[in-house]
Amino acid sequence: MIGRIGLVAWHVFKESVRDRVLYGIAGFAVLLVAASILVGQLTAGEDIKIIKDLGLATIELAGVLMTVFIGVGLVSREIERRSIFALLAKPLPRWEFIVGKYVGLVLTIFVNVAAMTAALYLMLAYMSWGALEVERRAWAAPATDPRLLIAVALIAAELALLTAVALFFSTFSSSALLSVALTVGLFIAGLLSHDLQHFGDIVEVPHAVATFVAAIGWSLPAFSAFSDVKNLIVQGQPVAGGYVAMTLLYAAIYSTAAIAAAVGIFSRREFK
Amino acid sequence: MSAGKTALATLAATVVLVGAAAAVLRARDRGYYIPEPTERLLYLRSGSTANRVFLSFDAMAADIYWIRSIQNYGRDRTSDRADRFQLLYPLLDLTTTLDPYFNIAYRFGAILLAVEEPQGPGRPDLAIKLLLKGIEKNPRWQYPYDIGFVHYWYTNDYQEAARWFERAAAMPGAPEWIRPLAAITMASGGDRQSARRMLNELLSSTEQYIRQTAQRDLLKLDAVDTIDRLNAVLAEFNQKNGRYPTDLDELVRARVLTSVPVDPTGEPFAYDPITHAIGLSPTSKIGALPKKMNSR
Amino acid sequence: MSAVARVDRLTKDFRVGFWRPRPHRALDALSFEIPAGGVFGLLGPNGAGKSTTLKLLLDLLRPTSGRAELLGKPSGDVQARQRLGFLPENPTFYDQLTAEELLTYFAGLFGYRGEDRRRRAAAALDQVGLNGADRKRPLRQYSKGMVQRVGIAQAIVNDPELVILDEPMSGLDPLGRREVRELIIRLRDEGRTVLFSSHILSDAETLCSGVGILAKGQLVAQGTLAELTRGGAGGAEVVVSDLPPSVADALARRVARVTRIADGRYSIEVAGAARPEPLIAELAAAGATLVSVAPLRTTLEDVFMSALSKAKERADGAERSRGAGPERSRGAS
Repeated sequence: MIGRIGLVAWHVFKESVRDRVLYGIAGFAVLLVAASILVGQLTAGEDIKIIKDLGLATIELAGVLMTVFIGVGLVSREIERRSIFALLAKPLPRWEFIVGKYVGLVLTIFVNVAAMTAALYLMLAYMSWGALEVERRAWAAPATDPRLLIAVALIAAELALLTAVALFFSTFSSSALLSVALTVGLFIAGLLSHDLQHFGDIVEVPHAVATFVAAIGWSLPAFSAFSDVKNLIVQGQPVAGGYVAMTLLYAAIYSTAAIAAAVGIFSRREFK
Repeated sequence: MSAGKTALATLAATVVLVGAAAAVLRARDRGYYIPEPTERLLYLRSGSTANRVFLSFDAMAADIYWIRSIQNYGRDRTSDRADRFQLLYPLLDLTTTLDPYFNIAYRFGAILLAVEEPQGPGRPDLAIKLLLKGIEKNPRWQYPYDIGFVHYWYTNDYQEAARWFERAAAMPGAPEWIRPLAAITMASGGDRQSARRMLNELLSSTEQYIRQTAQRDLLKLDAVDTIDRLNAVLAEFNQKNGRYPTDLDELVRARVLTSVPVDPTGEPFAYDPITHAIGLSPTSKIGALPKKMNSR
Repeated sequence: MSAVARVDRLTKDFRVGFWRPRPHRALDALSFEIPAGGVFGLLGPNGAGKSTTLKLLLDLLRPTSGRAELLGKPSGDVQARQRLGFLPENPTFYDQLTAEELLTYFAGLFGYRGEDRRRRAAAALDQVGLNGADRKRPLRQYSKGMVQRVGIAQAIVNDPELVILDEPMSGLDPLGRREVRELIIRLRDEGRTVLFSSHILSDAETLCSGVGILAKGQLVAQGTLAELTRGGAGGAEVVVSDLPPSVADALARRVARVTRIADGRYSIEVAGAARPEPLIAELAAAGATLVSVAPLRTTLEDVFMSALSKAKERADGAERSRGAGPERSRGAS
């Protein structure tokens, strides 16, 4: 079982890696270099913070793009191109196929994120090396602050959740465009889920309506929940380990839910 | 497992897992408080920067910041951290900079700023500051009226209040009842009837927190009314019996009162037999009673 | 001998149309059994339901009613596929992978590991004649014939008992078709059972020990080739050259058919019980040279056409008694 899932995952990774990773890294590096040039124009002392902010934002954005565009095609492309027939005629249970696809894409995304994080740290190390001692003391947190990894871990968890969502839409939607639209739509809805959860506090509606909207807000994948501490980390403030752990747990549970739904849909699917 | 059974099992699993995930998230949000980062507003402290950043979406951004102001108030109201309500004024300031004509942001924002502890920040000075900004950007009778109300109810500076009511009455569109209000306040300071009048105006507000505040404040006035009546009863008792009662139950036993008096929230009043003063029970939720307010 | 595949009253309806979907019956109470060993051909025109049947056997489609069984287990059983090989119609695999990588990947899915896995993958590629250099090129650079060969390789890499090929000859040039035919024979000789579908009836004649002929979702003929083509009109075909046209014209009134192949060259068919020998003597006397004499057999095509018309009669009769018009066949094969 593990062996087969691993095979499918490794295959997904190989296919994706041959396509996109290099472009992702190269693009990110270019972006950072451009940003650092811009930064020279802004006030000193803020530049490290801005590079960290920008760096984390770029990692997140690049990750989201990668996830959506590779993720929505994970299953639907195989069905479209009919390469799935030969695969499903093997002794490979359908659920292992789905899980394998998920693991493979998450692996790809994580490798990308790791590469981009390394590039970010290099940049920060370079900035630190080039700065004066007096400037360095003014920074709220050290340039190569290892606590940035906490923010990266949260981004990785967010992307793992988004991958599960993209995979879910890939299993039943026949059009890649539709899958992209649905995935992006649910991502945006998830970003707003916090406001929906507290709907009743803001808007004057009957209690039943407020409860209903709040229920929707709690059921949506809460993509907004992963960046609340980003600013704290960048400013060098402490972040509770329990908070981070619970956020990661949330991502794990919800991702499992999405994968379960994908397995359910895929197991009933017929292929004309 | 057949395809049909697999589908059913996974559906059940999905529902359960989504519920579990939501539970984890709720527990996290309840258990940990992440302060809303002030730094997020950093780039937007200056109004001109804010306007540049949002370009033509100022009004929409103002709406979003207004919503955040309300959320911030709602959340900080139930929190017990030392720095609660710190962000309320900056948020309201930003909202009104993005949209200088945002009427309710000035008016309701000011009330929320003035609400006394523990339900609010208790900063009538900031409330007035916000309203002064409103007068500067967009002079309307409501803003000086509101400043008058803040002085009337929160700082108890009736002279100032009367002055601002005058100003409001002089502006176009002001309702006729403000001029007599100004006169009465100028002549005899604060009184409950006028206060009730102004609080009833707030009762019809569209914003839930404002209504709640006004309701609570009206209960306060009811409480002081009741206390006044009780004081009269006590005085009568003293006249008849040459002393004050040892406790309020004695008044009930003596058939002077039909039952133990309770405040509008149902808490019995506290009576000090030595000073024969009546006040709210320490466990009452009404909050501080207005002083220096004449009965009428 | 146990059956390697069996369908029992297998019915499949598809919903066709977007606004008011109507059910379209692609398979109608199909029942047949495929014994172990030998080559079984599932034949019929496009749209008859051949691919649908194969997909139902493989759990790529689910029956509306009835059952499908593969290697003694229900079609949904995943483990049974350990002993199965499948080549889809017009296969596409993964463009970025090389043939070697693909075969190794698939071999791994069967549970082979390490050196054993590599060996099997290489052996399968050997069997289909894909040499060393080609194996290491990515699949997107392959011609159609090469892709087909890779497809067959992945169908046999696990040493299967049953090999299912969906339209294996489609789109191939004559050389490719011959290679596939030879491969099927080789698989049979190795003791495996081969089930393939085709709309070209002549493919089956040389290969199959048993056939099933589908038309419009129904099995219109089934059995061994011998059984199906037995009987028939009998007779013989005589091919002569150097026959004077006048003689040919005169003959045309006496025999079943005279066909002019070229100048002086004619094909003469005598019907039924008549022996060709007297005719040959007569032709020789007229100065013609004998080219060939062969008995006329019923071809599979004949079997098919007659079965088809019988089925149509049955269907029309049934339609008339139901009061509706005849249904036009649509949908995939």
